[in-house]
Amino acid sequence: MKFLLAVFLILFISGNEIVVKDQWLRPGAEKMATALYFTVENNSNEADTLYSIESDVSKMVQLHETYSNGSVMGMREIGQIVIEPGEKIELEPGGKHVMVMKLKKDLKIGDKIDFKLHFRKAGEIKITAEVKD
Amino acid sequence: MKFIRKVLIAFAAMIVLYFLQSCSQNFPLDKDLTLKSYKLLNQDSVDVSFPSIIKNKITVMGFIYTHCPDICPMTTHNIQLVQDELDKEGIENINYVLLSFDPGRDKPEVLKKFAELRDIDFNKWSLLTGENDVVSNLIRRFEVTVIFTDSTYSDDGELAYSVMHTDRIALIDQDSKLRKYYKGSTANISELVNDVKRLGD
Repeated sequence: MKFLLAVFLILFISGNEIVVKDQWLRPGAEKMATALYFTVENNSNEADTLYSIESDVSKMVQLHETYSNGSVMGMREIGQIVIEPGEKIELEPGGKHVMVMKLKKDLKIGDKIDFKLHFRKAGEIKITAEVKD
Repeated sequence: MKFIRKVLIAFAAMIVLYFLQSCSQNFPLDKDLTLKSYKLLNQDSVDVSFPSIIKNKITVMGFIYTHCPDICPMTTHNIQLVQDELDKEGIENINYVLLSFDPGRDKPEVLKKFAELRDIDFNKWSLLTGENDVVSNLIRRFEVTVIFTDSTYSDDGELAYSVMHTDRIALIDQDSKLRKYYKGSTANISELVNDVKRLGD
């Protein structure tokens, strides 16, 4: 009984190993694209990988990064993001972001949109992001 | 006595030179945009002529495409922040312009929707598009490079492509002279606001 209680306490105290927070996305018009941003923390002892994201609000969702090549800026798909143990990665404007393409409806300031983030080890994590600018 | 006068004149000349140099450092460009006119469409599909539409006002101008999810919304947002600051200080006689360098997709109604979702005030803002060749010629005046990449047809048959582009905001004075460039997505808002105020002095 004491053993079970100890296990329960350890699990309770340790909390979530992958934490996703500060999520938000920009406004976007139907059929267009927008970007989702958030911070992901890995509180576990092993690396984890964010490899896909789903949402009912768009036909296609991809992990992208913005990069510069000389004087021009571009975007490219990055496929996945590895979060090392203890690491915190910020998906932010001008850097890594989630590209939410072919929106099924207008996303207006104040709207709240659900996403499912898929991690190799942590599995599915659901988040709700607010539209703001 | 003559020597002192000469010293004073030299000192005054140095001050004038320093002042002129400071001004040119603030505004490194001096390109007259009135030498050529460009026929464009605004967000209401109204024919407009550039630079006639910005005549006699200071203009903050960004270069965007609406399918851009990251950089161009940052540029647009930065211009909105500049407007917020200037409005707060009662400086309202300013043009805010966004020119799309993706006119194939950015029709007037698309630009209008892009603006409406961001609560952009059409009394002060113009979102411009036009014929491909006209837009190409105009962005060249601003040294904006655009490279269309990764063209493909998606499952639903729509042409999809992304665009590599110069990340730019331009400041134009009341005489329609291009005066300064800023990096659009990471522009220093205070610098831009102060530059607008200096031009207005």
